[in-house]
Amino acid sequence: MSRSLPAVAIGCLLALVALFALRPGSPPTDAQRADALAHELRCPDCAGLSVADSPTNAAQEMRRQIVELVVGGASNAEVRQHFVDRYGDWIRLAPSSPVAWLIPFAVLIAGVGALTAWLVRRPSPLVPTPPISADERRRLREEAEALDA
Amino acid sequence: MQSLRWLLVPLLVLPIAWLLFQGFGRDPRQVASPLIERQAPAWSLTTLDGETLTSDDLAGRPYVVNFWASWCAPCVEEHPVLSAAWDQHSDDLAMIGVLYSDSRDNAESFLDRYGRAGYPTVVDESGALAIDFGVVGPPETFFVDADGIVREKQTGPLTAESMDRHLASIGIGR
Repeated sequence: MSRSLPAVAIGCLLALVALFALRPGSPPTDAQRADALAHELRCPDCAGLSVADSPTNAAQEMRRQIVELVVGGASNAEVRQHFVDRYGDWIRLAPSSPVAWLIPFAVLIAGVGALTAWLVRRPSPLVPTPPISADERRRLREEAEALDA
Repeated sequence: MQSLRWLLVPLLVLPIAWLLFQGFGRDPRQVASPLIERQAPAWSLTTLDGETLTSDDLAGRPYVVNFWASWCAPCVEEHPVLSAAWDQHSDDLAMIGVLYSDSRDNAESFLDRYGRAGYPTVVDESGALAIDFGVVGPPETFFVDADGIVREKQTGPLTAESMDRHLASIGIGR
C-alpha cells in the first residue's frame, strides 16, 4: 500500500486539476459570443483569415451582422447557419464534420499502438544471457584445441 | 507474412496522401453556391445615378447580377462580354451590376474608360448584398430566372461561350 501511495496521490491531484479546469464558468457576454463566432468564420476576401482578424469591408460587414444577430437573441448555431446558408460550409474555419476531428486522434492512437507493439516485441538488450554450462565450456575448449592443431 | 509487412506503410500512407492531395490543383475560389435552385436574395440599393432600384423591380423577368470592382482585372476582361450580352438580349432580360468594395468615383472612371453598357450598376456600400449572395470576390455573376430562382453562378470572368451557356439556363438565347 505505501508503495502505491505516491501514484494514488498524483492521480487524485490530477483529477482535482481536471475538475477545476472543466468547471462550468459564468455564461459569456454577447460581446464575447460575437467575438468567438467571428473567430470561427472565414473572411470571404482573405480565405486564410478569420472574420475577426481580417480588415476587409466584407469581414467588417460580417462582424456587424454577427453582432446584430447575437444581440437579437440568435444562438451560436443560428449565427453560423446564417452564413453557411449564404456561403456553404466553406465559410467555417473549423470543420463541422466529426470525422475531421476524430482522424488526428485515431492516427495518434494507432501510432502509439504501433510503437508499443514494436517496443514489446523487440528483444530487450538488458536481458542477461545465461552462463555457459560446464559441458559447453569443455566442448569449446576441445574445438579451439582442434583448430590450433 | 513477414515478407508482406513492408506493404503496411504504403497501404496506410497512400490512401491518406491521396485524400490530402485531392485539394491540390483545385481553385479555392470555386466554392459551390448554396443559392443554386433557391430564391435570390431581396435587395434595395442606389444606382450610380442616384436612383433606387430593388429586386421587386425585376420581378417576372430573368436577370443577371454581376458583382464587379474597378480594381478587379478579370472584370475588365469580361466587361465586353457583358456589354455584348446586354446589346443582344436587353428586350428579354434585366442586367444589374453590383459595385463590390469600391467607390463611386472609381466605378465612374472604369465605365468611362471601358464603356457604359447601358444597364444600371447599384452600389453595395455595406457589402451586405455580397454576403447575401455569398460572394467570395469579384467577378462573380448570378443568373436568376423569371421566377426569381438562382440557376447558375459564374466565378471568375465570363467568356462569350460561358455567357451563352448561363443565359440558356434562365431561358435566354439558344
